[in-house]
Amino acid sequence: MFSKILIANRGEIAIRIIRACKEMGIYSVAVFSEADKNSLHVSLADEAYCIGKAQVKESYLNMHSIISAALASKAEAIHPGYGFLSENSEFASLCDKYGIAFIGPDAKTMANMSDKEKAIQIMKEAGLPIIPSSKVVVNVEQAVLEAEKIGYPLLIKARSGGGGKGIRLARNVEELKYGFHVATSEAASAFGDDGVYLEKFLTSVKHIEMQIIADSHGNVVCLGERDCSTQRKNQKVIEESPCVRLSDDIRTKMVQSSVKAVLVTGYKGVGTIEFLYDGKDYYFMEMNTRLQVEHPVTEMVTGIDLVKWQIRVASGMELGFKQEDIILHGHAIECRINAEDAYTGFRPSCGKIETLHIPGGPWVRFDTAIYQGYVIQPFYDSMIGKLVVHAKTRDEAIRKMKAALCELIIEGIDHNARYNEEILDTEEFISGKYTTDYLSTLEMI
Amino acid sequence: MLFKRPKNSLEGNTKIQLKLFKEKSDTAEKEMFTCKKCKKTYSKNELSQSFNVCPYCNEHFKISARERLNMLCDSVSFSEHDKDMTSVNFLGFEGYDEKLSEAKKQSNENESVVCGVCTIVGIKTAIFVMDPFFMMGSMGSVTGEKITRLFEYATNNSLPVVGYCVSGGARMQEGILSLMQMAKVSAAVKKHSDMNNLYICVLTDPTSGGVTASFAMQADIILSEPKALVCFAGPRVIEQTIRKKVPDDIQRAECVMENGFIDNIVGRKNQKSYLGKLLRMHMRYRV
Repeated sequence: MFSKILIANRGEIAIRIIRACKEMGIYSVAVFSEADKNSLHVSLADEAYCIGKAQVKESYLNMHSIISAALASKAEAIHPGYGFLSENSEFASLCDKYGIAFIGPDAKTMANMSDKEKAIQIMKEAGLPIIPSSKVVVNVEQAVLEAEKIGYPLLIKARSGGGGKGIRLARNVEELKYGFHVATSEAASAFGDDGVYLEKFLTSVKHIEMQIIADSHGNVVCLGERDCSTQRKNQKVIEESPCVRLSDDIRTKMVQSSVKAVLVTGYKGVGTIEFLYDGKDYYFMEMNTRLQVEHPVTEMVTGIDLVKWQIRVASGMELGFKQEDIILHGHAIECRINAEDAYTGFRPSCGKIETLHIPGGPWVRFDTAIYQGYVIQPFYDSMIGKLVVHAKTRDEAIRKMKAALCELIIEGIDHNARYNEEILDTEEFISGKYTTDYLSTLEMI
Repeated sequence: MLFKRPKNSLEGNTKIQLKLFKEKSDTAEKEMFTCKKCKKTYSKNELSQSFNVCPYCNEHFKISARERLNMLCDSVSFSEHDKDMTSVNFLGFEGYDEKLSEAKKQSNENESVVCGVCTIVGIKTAIFVMDPFFMMGSMGSVTGEKITRLFEYATNNSLPVVGYCVSGGARMQEGILSLMQMAKVSAAVKKHSDMNNLYICVLTDPTSGGVTASFAMQADIILSEPKALVCFAGPRVIEQTIRKKVPDDIQRAECVMENGFIDNIVGRKNQKSYLGKLLRMHMRYRV
């Protein structure tokens, strides 16, 4: 086991990891930017090092500064948390160069999975279902033929495209014929390559992700799914586990697919396989090679401490449970509490927290780094906490969450507890039918 | 500390598999350097590339005489004088022999000053550089003798002298004889000057005691490195005597320059070109 770990992150996730270290008897080293000198993770850790200015580029993304802090503190491993350097393969190889264990996959696996196209290719070869698409189509006739195979609606995408450019939606043959000409000329002028291909356009889909953990002894365990379809502008707002709309049959298939994906890539550590689910079929979307923000949801229903196990497998330990030991108990919901004003265009809010009351009671968990008197800085992510509840049934969990949200008092800044509460009250949420696009249709009062 | 550390012992006791990591980080650690001023850590390679000046906060760290010569002299132009001259414990001062051999080991030099002739940007110059790693550049009889000889050589050959001073003062283990070096070197400086030769002195951190009181302050042009301590009696000695706290910046180069004792402060990176310019301006053309 590592005797000292440096946590290359801030906020609630740094706190989460430091807490795990404390329980495991591991010395923790915090790093902080000049703006974060009064942060909770700095006082909670056994040691703390300033790594640069407030801007993330100068501090939390400053690889050499973090490596230096690790060497100075003689930390044996670095936990990257999520965001920042957690999916940076250059950082993982830099850690290796300096003899520091990186708590995550090796640099090569990470690089393969962060290249979306490459990842899809690998998964396709492994036999995972991927979103149906055609090869490059050269003329309208071929496009129409291919489109019939895939089915409408579909997207015409530029081969060399990126950043949403060179994409056209086609709902029928007419639109396809027109869109093909527009897309090819657009692609030619934007990327100097007029190659386009067709891809099935999935509307009203659920974002379902499978939590996996793999050790270095060849054991892979899937810890069930999370339904993260409550999204606003591709940002998750509420996550829950299990997903009510997933049949046991599909779930078993998805678990098998996820385990297969991990075995194919030789992945080690905790990770997430993200799928799109249209109520009938599921498609591989991407793999996240890190601990997820919403990991507590899985922890609640499985009773497995993901952070502790992540550290254990990184230090070479064998997993202490098998796939058959994993049973999802009850239902867990997580609401992300963001410092933002949901009623004026989700404008981020910062400032001093004058009053703070954290909800309590059985099976209510609030992961946060804020405290009364803490000043929220404008430099970082607006998420200030994660409220997680666990109950026997989904209905009870929703009731518990609503009660907990009302108990959450953060004065001095704007936050989205009320917005979360409104989502919980919508018909779509209660029925569990909601898809990734439903929040955009939700009218705000 | 706000939070008490829980008394949890380390989970498992598998320290063995970490051996590999330990070995690697030990070697990595040797290559790393942490700036005392700005606390930034970077590789020693990066430090030596910037001539022992912190690349982030411009703090000038001590640099050995040889490294300084490498930095200043045109390549392979340096030829050393009186290389094997070394101090002896003629007073039988207790512990001096051990101190000398320790200093030799630490600095890889025979004495606290390295003298010789070199070219700086193509101009032939006599040069002496004191070494902070040899008893903090303390001035013993051999130090004085070597510098005197260098001045005499420069006088005879009509060469300018560039001197780098770093010293804690006269070497107390040699008593009055080390103090006599002040007079001896001063005489040689005067003779060198009388023959219209140029003497440039660069004060580095720290220049104090007998060195300040003699050849460090006798140069035609006196330069200094940023924030170098330049004084006669050091701040601690003054504090113990007058029983008052001395302001931090009072004996720093910047303050000394403000009071007219230093002509200019030149950062280490610019020193070679700056010295080259001065030497060129004062070059003597024989008709």
